[in-house]
This record gives sequence, C-alpha cells and structure tokens, in this order.
Amino acid sequence: MKPSNRLTRRQFLRRGALGSGWVAVAGAALTASRGRGRAAAADANPFAYDLGNAAHTDPKLIHYETAAAFASGVGDARRLAFGPGDRLHVAGKTAITILDLRGAKLQEIPLAAPARCVAVGPDGMIYAGLRDHVEVFDASGRKLASWESPGKKVWLSGLAVGEKGIFAADAGNRVVLRYDPAGKVTARIGERNKQRNVPGLIVPSPYLDVALGPDGLLRVNNPGRHCIDIYTPDGDLELSWGKPTAAIEGFCGCCNPIAIEVLPDGRHLTCEKGLPRVKVYSATGQFDCVVAGPESFPENAKTGSISDKSDGVLGGLDAAVDSQGRICTLDLVTGRVAVMKAKAKV
Amino acid sequence: MNPPIPQFPRSRRQFLRDGARAAALTGLGGLFALTAERAGGRPRVWQIDPQKCVRCGNCATHCVLEQSAVKCVHAHAICGYCQLCTGYFEPEPNELNTAAENCLCPTAAIKRTYVEDPYYEYSIDEGLCIGCAKCVEGCNRFGNGSLFLQVRHDRCLNCNECAISKACPVDAFQRIPADHPYLLKTMAHGA
Amino acid sequence: MKALAEIRGSGGRFAGLTRAVVALVLLCLATLSSLAEQRFPPPDFVETNHQIPATATPGARALWLQYGDIVVLAAALGVALWLIYRRRSRPGLVWLSLFSMAYFGFYRNGCICSIGSLQNVSLALADPSYSISWTALAFFVLPLAVALFSGRAFCAGVCPHGALQDLLLLKPLKVPAWLEHGLGILPFVYLGIGVLLAATGSLFVICEYDPFIPIFRLSGRAVMVGAGAGFVLLSVFVGRPYCRFLCPYGALLKLGAIVAKGRVRVTPDTCTQCRLCEHSCPFGAMREPESPPVTPAALAGGRRRLALALVLVPVLILAGAGLGSRLANRASLLNPTVALAARLSREAAAPVPTGPLSPDDFALARARENPRALTADATAAQRRFAIGTPLFGGWLGLVVGAKLLSLALHRRRSDYEPDRGSCFGCARCFEFCPNELVRRGLTPAAALPALPTPRT
Repeated sequence: MKPSNRLTRRQFLRRGALGSGWVAVAGAALTASRGRGRAAAADANPFAYDLGNAAHTDPKLIHYETAAAFASGVGDARRLAFGPGDRLHVAGKTAITILDLRGAKLQEIPLAAPARCVAVGPDGMIYAGLRDHVEVFDASGRKLASWESPGKKVWLSGLAVGEKGIFAADAGNRVVLRYDPAGKVTARIGERNKQRNVPGLIVPSPYLDVALGPDGLLRVNNPGRHCIDIYTPDGDLELSWGKPTAAIEGFCGCCNPIAIEVLPDGRHLTCEKGLPRVKVYSATGQFDCVVAGPESFPENAKTGSISDKSDGVLGGLDAAVDSQGRICTLDLVTGRVAVMKAKAKV
Repeated sequence: MNPPIPQFPRSRRQFLRDGARAAALTGLGGLFALTAERAGGRPRVWQIDPQKCVRCGNCATHCVLEQSAVKCVHAHAICGYCQLCTGYFEPEPNELNTAAENCLCPTAAIKRTYVEDPYYEYSIDEGLCIGCAKCVEGCNRFGNGSLFLQVRHDRCLNCNECAISKACPVDAFQRIPADHPYLLKTMAHGA
Repeated sequence: MKALAEIRGSGGRFAGLTRAVVALVLLCLATLSSLAEQRFPPPDFVETNHQIPATATPGARALWLQYGDIVVLAAALGVALWLIYRRRSRPGLVWLSLFSMAYFGFYRNGCICSIGSLQNVSLALADPSYSISWTALAFFVLPLAVALFSGRAFCAGVCPHGALQDLLLLKPLKVPAWLEHGLGILPFVYLGIGVLLAATGSLFVICEYDPFIPIFRLSGRAVMVGAGAGFVLLSVFVGRPYCRFLCPYGALLKLGAIVAKGRVRVTPDTCTQCRLCEHSCPFGAMREPESPPVTPAALAGGRRRLALALVLVPVLILAGAGLGSRLANRASLLNPTVALAARLSREAAAPVPTGPLSPDDFALARARENPRALTADATAAQRRFAIGTPLFGGWLGLVVGAKLLSLALHRRRSDYEPDRGSCFGCARCFEFCPNELVRRGLTPAAALPALPTPRT
C-alpha cells in the first residue's frame, strides 16, 4: 500500500500558514530593500551644482530698498526706459506700455510684433526696437516711421537716444549701430577692428545693451569679455572695465553683464543673469553697492525657469534710472517692476 | 510515435476540454484583435524631454547599466563658444585651464578646444560621460542651455520599464517612435 | 537632422561617406531654413572659418531586427515542438536551450520577454493611449497559442529563464507534495499582482523583480543580482524554482496546457506499468495511475469534499473581492502619481528648501506648480485601483478555491504520465521508458516482457 500523498486538512492549513509566513517575510524583505534604495536615491544629488556663498548677498552691501512693486502691464516685458517726466516705458510682446511710478498705466502703444527694447528721447519721441528694425512713435503714440532693417542676422536688444544720434545695440551682428533721426545708419560701433584697437563685442546670447552717460560717451556691455566698454559716439574705444568672478564685485557666469545704465552722477548700473543681481559701479568701474541681489528675484534665480518666450531667451533682468536717481528693475521671468530708492545713510 | 487515444469513456471530459480550449482560443484571438487595434506605429524607445529635465542627477545612478545610457549632448549651434564656459568650469575657477579643480565634470568627459580668440568649442566624450547633468545645470543657469541630457540609443537596452524614468522626479521620460528617437534642442532655452 | 537617425542605423561599406554627404547637405539646408532665423545666431568664426558640428544621433535598434526576434521565437517554438513530439530528444532540447539562453538571454538581454509582455498587454487593454509594439504582442500570443495545442513547449527550450534553470539542474531534490501545492498558487497570485499593477499604469513589477535579467544583462541593482544568484544556486538543487513557483506567464501556460489538444507521453506506445519512470521527473510533474474510490464510505467522503470545495469557491471569490476593495487605497500608493499627491497633501505647509535640491525636492516642487492636475491624475489612478483591487481579491479567492477543488477532484488515470499543466516538456522522462529505449534501438525488443493487451 503506497503512502498516501493526500494531506489532512489540519496539515494543509498548518503548512500553508508556514509557507505564507515565509512568503510574507521574503516579500517584506524585498519591499524594504526597494524602499531603502529609493530613499537613499531621493535624499541627495551627489552631482549637485553648488554655487556656494555666491547666491547670498551681504546685507551691508545693499544700499537700496524697494519703494514700490507692480506688474509691468504687458506680456513678455523685456526692457525699461524712462521718458521725460519720469514716465516709465516698458517694451513688451504686444505694445509699449507707459506707467507711472506707482504702476498705473498711462498709455499703451500697440505694436505689430514684439518689442525687445525701447528708448525715449528728450523730445518725447519713443523708439521701439522690434527684432530686426526700429519703429518711431511720437509722445502721443502715433507711429511716425519704421526704419529699414540693417541687414541679416539683426537682433536688436538695446536702444539709447543721444545728441549724436540714436544708438541701437544689434546683438545678432555684435555691433552698435548709430542712426541719424531719419533712420540712416551712420556708424557701426564696437565691431572688431585691429587698426582702431577695438577687440570687438563678444555676445553669446541676445543681451547687448547701450547707454549714454552725462559725458556723452557710450557704454556698451561686452558680456563675453565680462566688461563694460566705453566708446565715443564715433566708435573709438576709450576704456574697458570689469572682471569675471562670481563674487559680488565682478560679473558672474559666462556672459554678463546683460544690461547697462548710467546714473545721473555718472555711476554705472549693471544687471546680470544666472545670479540675478543689480549693482552700482563708480564712473571708473569700482564696485560701489548692490541694488538687489539674487534673494530679490527668487523665480528668476531658479535655473531653467519659465521659457514661454518664443525666441529661447532665458529670464534676465533690466534696469532703468530716472532723473531723480530712482532705479527701476524689471524681472523678465515674473514681469514685475520694482522701484528702488536709496536707503537713508546710517 | 504517439499511442492511440484510449477508448476510455472520458468523452465528457474530452468534450469539456475541447470546449475550454475553443473558448481559450477565442479569448486569445479576441485579446489579440483588441490589442492589435492599439498596436502599430513604430516600436517605441525612451527619451528625455530636455524642456522638463531638472538635472537631478538620477540619470547617472538609476540606469540598469553600470555606465548609464544617458549622456550629455551638445547642440553646438546654440552654444556661445564662451571662453569661460559655465558648463565646463566651476562657478569660480582659479584659472581657465584643464586642471581638475577648475573643471565641473567629475569624469573629465567634456573637452575644450581653442577655435579662435576668444572662442572655444566644447564637446562631450561619451565614453567618459556618466550623465550626471552637472554641466547641463551650469550651462542652463548662466549660458544658452546648449548642453542637455539625452538617452543614447547605441547604448540603451530599451527596457520594458525604464528604471530611470521611474525615478525621474518630473516625468521627463517619454516613449517616442524609434525612427525619430531624439528630442534635440534647436533653440537656446527653448525647443 | 531627423533623417540622419535612420541613415545612421543602416550598415554598408560606403555608409560612412553617404552619411557625411547627407549630413553636409542637411547642414546647409538647415542653415538656410527658417529655423535658423528664429534662433540667436552663433558667433562668426572669421579667422578660421570653423564649421559648427552637428549633434550625433546614433539610431535605435533597426525595425527589421525587432521583427526578426518574432521570427526567431516562432522558429524556436517550432523546433521545440519537433524535438518533444517527433524526435523525443533530450540532447536536442539541451542544444535548443543553450541557443535560447544565448539569443533571448545574453544577446537580447532578456528583454522583451514573454513573461513581461503580459504586463504590456494588460496596460494596452486598460489604457487606450498606450501603444504596444507588435513584438510584445507576438511574444505574448505565440507561446500561449502553442500551449493551447501542444503544451508548454515554450518552457521546454525557448524561454531563456527556463533554459538557464534547466541547464543548471544538477542534483534535483524532491519537493514535498504539500509545499508543491502550496507554492503552486504563487504564480497565479503573482499574475494577478502583475496585471493589476500594470493595468493601473503603476509599475511593471514583473520586470522590476525578475531575478535572471541582471544575470543576462551582467549588471543591475545589488538586491536583484543577489536574488539572481540565489535563484541560480537554488536551481542546482530544486528544479526550475522560478518556473514552478513564481512565473506568472507560466500560470497562463499551465491553464492553456491543461486544455491542450496534444500532451507529452512518456512512452512512445503503450504503457506497460513497469514503474521505471515513476520518479523520473525532477519537477514533480509525473502522475501515477489513479482510479476513483470504490468503497461507498470513501466515495461519500470524496463527494462531501467536492461539495465543500464547490461551495467554497464562490464564497472565497466574494470574500476576496471584499477584502480587495478594502485595500484599494493602500494599494493605490504603489502608483507613483498617487504617492506624489499624497506627499503633496502631507507636506503642503513645508517650507521651500534652499540650496541644491534633491530629486525628492524637485518632485515636490513640480507637484506644487500644478497641484490641481496632479490631484486629478491621482484621483483617476485611485479610481482604477478601486475597480482593480476587488477584481484581484476575487481572483485570489478563485485561485485558492480552484486549488482546493483540484485537490478534491479525482482523476482517472491508467498510465504513468506527466501532469498536463505542470509538464515542461523537457524530455528527461523519455529515456526511463523501456519502450522508448526500444524505439531508439538501444535495447532489443526481445529483452522486454511481452506487452499486455491495452487496458480499457
């Protein structure tokens, strides 16, 4: 008689319970290992990009405080400029918006294409830099002219109006064009020229800006060389100052500064991207103070932040200064304008 | 040679078995038809959407292969060719040379070649790259964003469920048709 | 540039030159195209006239190679069938197993495999937006179709996992019957879990916990490599442990083989009841002749057991479904979207961390950007689990009930033959039969006792 293969019910249940117990132990071990592996991976990034202390600004160096903050009033705001009467002009996707310093919209000049830069002459004439050409409006917003595009690869990213003409910063061709009031190009400034000892503008990304100082000289940012070039309106290079460093007194990253303005007393105002900072330098390029550090632009400081801009431009900042020395900063990522006034000296 | 089926009165069982088999075959056929309706198109492969990637570093550590199939890729047309490349150098290099203390890449996979003053070309040696995205982070923060991570299909095994895609915190992995297996950037900081 | 990917995939002697020419043409076209106008222009290399290189795009595995895998699978299945039923050759199956291990295992790295393909099919059925490849579908359907006609020929020599375990079996131990029955439920449980987690779009658990893939790939997580080593060691002593006690696709093949038309017979002609093959199967698949109980007491006892089992089946199904629906919320946390949504609601008030962010921080930050969309996705996933877990629970109940039912049923068997569902077709038992030895010409027919008349 062959031993029966069959189990009694009790045997089956007991052994089944034992077996289930073992399976449960094994399953628990596997799940625990899975959980632990996941937790370890989620804890830290061993390849994190560390900026160290550069992201924090020493509060003693910040000499400005926010007096007002408001939305720019137009989508994809790129540049700021002050006009007569300290009216703030904002170049945006659909229009040039004119605001007062409390943020109230005074006027809007609709445009056919996005404006990348704007400048206002002392006579109230508004020059809007669209991507490849300049359009001229009068103070009431009536379109007066649309200048011819200077050629191929034009990417206008900065405008300044002076006595000797209207200066347009063409980032695409790495040159500053001098226009006469009729719209004719009368000079090309900043182009590489060995005879004139001009090393040339190095512009890796579309952030070329131009500003005129009270001494009549042009300031142009040279982002690839981390410096500010000072030219005569005819194109002679007078002075170049600036150094590459992530520390507060220099220009961080690979291509900074991205915007340049001149304060009424001749000091320079610069903006940087990557570590968004707005700083003041002396007339000869010595570091003076910080207007706003990366802490003031939290969304802008996040890498790879909002890219709804169709031309692939990363965030960035712009700044403008009015006749009273008040500084307005524009955050390209959030579209917010902040009016900064100097802190009372302690 | 198989023996003849025994003449056992198991016709009921045989009938049940035949019926079950027919039902199973019908079921299988139906399943096949239903799934085939959704099948088709090219086979799919895994790829990273560079717009979504946040450079978390998981690509280097979660691939089932020892050396990750994800590599950094350079879109040279977007690059600014900067002398001080923030994808190559540490945020504050002591000097602009190839010393390891100044370089960002943990495996020295990114090579710097002089073109003309002051332009340098940067290229990735895929044999050394581990896909950690440190250079991608530096490039996207300060620069034009011409460096980005992509799954390299001469290395990827195309697992049924990509282990990196499961670990990706922002769901940047997609299954895209194998005949266009890359999502390359064509514009700085944009698509 | 996208056409480059296709061109680079092809071979040929002048492929390099062709590629370079096409690349140059495409580069010129690209620079002239409107795309370049929208992009900020790169620097002008006036001194050296340096050309900006294009990004290399090495192509994915060619399509014809993928379809080639299906052809190889079909051919291997055909060869396996021929080896089991016509040639009845164990050495042939060993060679086939080696080939399958080399091709499907080490060359294809074990992916895509039939075991994992059931997850692809489950997901494709549950999610209309999931696109399944023809390869995955073929790998699912072909071995099952073969099983419905001729048993588990796939397991015999085509599946690389099975081949690996089978070739390593050196000193088989007998697994006691109670353990065999108990663990025999596990493949069906694993099948249910795999289908549930795949159909809800949560994860491919079979792929993640496959112990042999790290061996084929020669790399993997430490835990899984360890598990693989453990299974390999176990395979030396216990025949085909993964196949018998875990493989979810094997559960489907078993069901198919039970209703199959053809079956493996130990003897090439009539069984003489010599009992030489009784303990020949290393996988515990050999069954002895059985007849129904003759005494009225035993018959009544058997009928009572059968009635109890029949009654238990629906009870177990309902109980399982009930239990499953209770566990729906806990189970849904296995879905990464649901887990992230739960984390978001837990850590809604947590401050935003500064400094370098960990991957978990990134996940939470992304969740915070669009909480409504995440919650909507998580709710949809939980709804899928609410449907799936009772079904899974009911399935568990059905599996346990079916096992009890099968223990209560009597088979009528006159010969020693392998169990339809459990037999892998490995052809080991053939050479134990004297009739087989006669067929092979190894024993003269005269040496055998006279064949009795066939039993009725």
